[in-house]
Amino acid sequence: MTKQHAYLFDATRCIDCRACMIACSVENNVEMGESYIWLSGAGVMGEYPDLKRASMPYHCMHCLEPDCESACPVGAWHKREDGPVVYDASKCIGCRYCMNACPFQVPHFDWNKGIIEGAFIRKCTMCTQRLEVGQVPACVHTCPTNALVFGERADLIAEAHARIAAHPDRYINHVYGEFENGGTSYLILSHVPFTELGLPEMPETPVNAVSEAVMEGTIPFALAWGTVLSGVAIGINQMNKKKTPSSPALPPRGEGSNPPLPPVEGSGVRENGTEATK
Amino acid sequence: MKLRINLHPALRLPPITWVLIPLMAIGFTVAMVRFALGIGPISNLNNTYGWGFWISFDLFTGVAISSGGFIMAGLVYILQIKEFKPLLRPSVLTAFLGYLMVAIALLVDLGHPERIWYMMVYWNHTSVLLEIGICVMSYLTVLAIEFAPVVFEGLKWEKPAHLIHKFIMPFVILGVVLSTLHQSSLGSLLLIESTKLHPLWWTPILPVMFFTSALSIGLSMIILESSLSARYFQRGLETHLLEKLARAIPYTAGTYLLLKLADLAFTGELGLLFTSGKMSLLFWAEILIGCITPIIMFSIKKVRQSPNGLLAGAVITLLGMILNRFNVSWFGIARLNDPGYAPSLVEMSISVAIFSAGILAFGLAAKYLPLFEAEEHAPATGD
Repeated sequence: MTKQHAYLFDATRCIDCRACMIACSVENNVEMGESYIWLSGAGVMGEYPDLKRASMPYHCMHCLEPDCESACPVGAWHKREDGPVVYDASKCIGCRYCMNACPFQVPHFDWNKGIIEGAFIRKCTMCTQRLEVGQVPACVHTCPTNALVFGERADLIAEAHARIAAHPDRYINHVYGEFENGGTSYLILSHVPFTELGLPEMPETPVNAVSEAVMEGTIPFALAWGTVLSGVAIGINQMNKKKTPSSPALPPRGEGSNPPLPPVEGSGVRENGTEATK
Repeated sequence: MKLRINLHPALRLPPITWVLIPLMAIGFTVAMVRFALGIGPISNLNNTYGWGFWISFDLFTGVAISSGGFIMAGLVYILQIKEFKPLLRPSVLTAFLGYLMVAIALLVDLGHPERIWYMMVYWNHTSVLLEIGICVMSYLTVLAIEFAPVVFEGLKWEKPAHLIHKFIMPFVILGVVLSTLHQSSLGSLLLIESTKLHPLWWTPILPVMFFTSALSIGLSMIILESSLSARYFQRGLETHLLEKLARAIPYTAGTYLLLKLADLAFTGELGLLFTSGKMSLLFWAEILIGCITPIIMFSIKKVRQSPNGLLAGAVITLLGMILNRFNVSWFGIARLNDPGYAPSLVEMSISVAIFSAGILAFGLAAKYLPLFEAEEHAPATGD
């Protein structure tokens, strides 16, 4: 089985130096200030003397069951077996449904590019180009305090729980991403509530569960509904035929005070008695 | 002194044309800037609001107000209630133009409009948006087929018109199925936002809610479009027919209201009706304007029988239910680190231009095609 990579971020170790953001920009050749990572966090919290400060480099969560992948109409998103959620720019039509679908609001869009330059979705790639040569992502490589570490997901979950067990007073007893949204490949330990790090409160079922269930029912529903409608149309047609055997006297159903309807030659509805108004 | 230019009567256009054309020109220019420089320079969309005014108005509202076409086709062809025939052609045209407007607007909104056909090649079967894309493209084709006989008649091409009539039924049924699917799927599109969309609106039955409200919207659109046509094209108003359609609105709006309340009661969220601040207000506005007022108004026979009552009721229903589309696709969605978003005038000018083009196209069709003739005299193929 392929090794499933993941990040582990420990907020108690982050010193907010932002070296990860610089490393990301350099590695992935994106403009400064537009790295695939952004800083999220609480600033200073609490009341003196009980102050806390927390920050987090906000990556793609690399969900195990990604909603971007579920939502994308053309299948431009794909969760790789070895961990990263990757994007195929050559398929993307720029609909931005992934941005709406992502509960973590991760995908960003090239707002200032026209159709010739090509506007695409941007997000953390887990530095797949580095993984391929056996290196860790640039942000992890750069982090001076080991606030970000990289490894196999199962190992990192064990490591996270070990850290909590070693210092239960320091951490909130929860590994964010172990189960959130069906599990993610970006795991977070924190000393402040996770919402303070800018993370949403997430259920354990991936948010795409309901829409995928509905989509599964779509084609059976369409076939059934089409059959019902055809049956109704044929049934009513037959009834109308019986009602007006050949006599030209009967007005069509509900004619009321209308002027007589035009003769309907060669039309799909001619069989049901409108001929009668000739 | 007035300048008079003598135009052939067939070329004379109503004065509103001279308002619509500049609006179209502005939007067209803005669209060209957008294609050259990107969406950012002409809109206030941002990474938190990847979808904004265009999606709420052009897509959600545009598709909803085009639902009259499948309602009328279903009534006339499938249930074979022939008396509604005079309303069929304009409804199908409204729907056709509506969807065409949706398609054009999406081409502006898409990052890669030139790749729109990828939707027909790369299928991700779990994507609700794929279903909507396929349905809208197919339904636009079906509507073109349903409307083609009117164009052929206008051109005096009797043969192709008859040919289409002969084989219209499968297309009508396909059209109703496609409409049912994507009207409801627009609701399914928001299912994936279960953690972001406010619980007053998010429910697993969003597709059912959308379909039910699309019925109210479609019926109201037929009434609105007939009323305006009667006023601007100097033709008789089929009040007796519209009265019957209006009679159905309390049922569709009532069903929507009951489903909504039952759903909230079932999940124990009725309290949200009063405790969600701005969201509660938006919800109440939607329900009062789009459900309760129409139920009351259209339950009164006098209202249904008066042209003004019909028009007012239809407009109110539309306002309420369109507010619903905005609530669900925009106002009701919570964002992390919300930077705020208000559409810019430039951004809206694109929607205005497309809408203007739609109105103009309807006007031209009314002038040059046998759109309204079915009731007055007897052309060969009145449907």
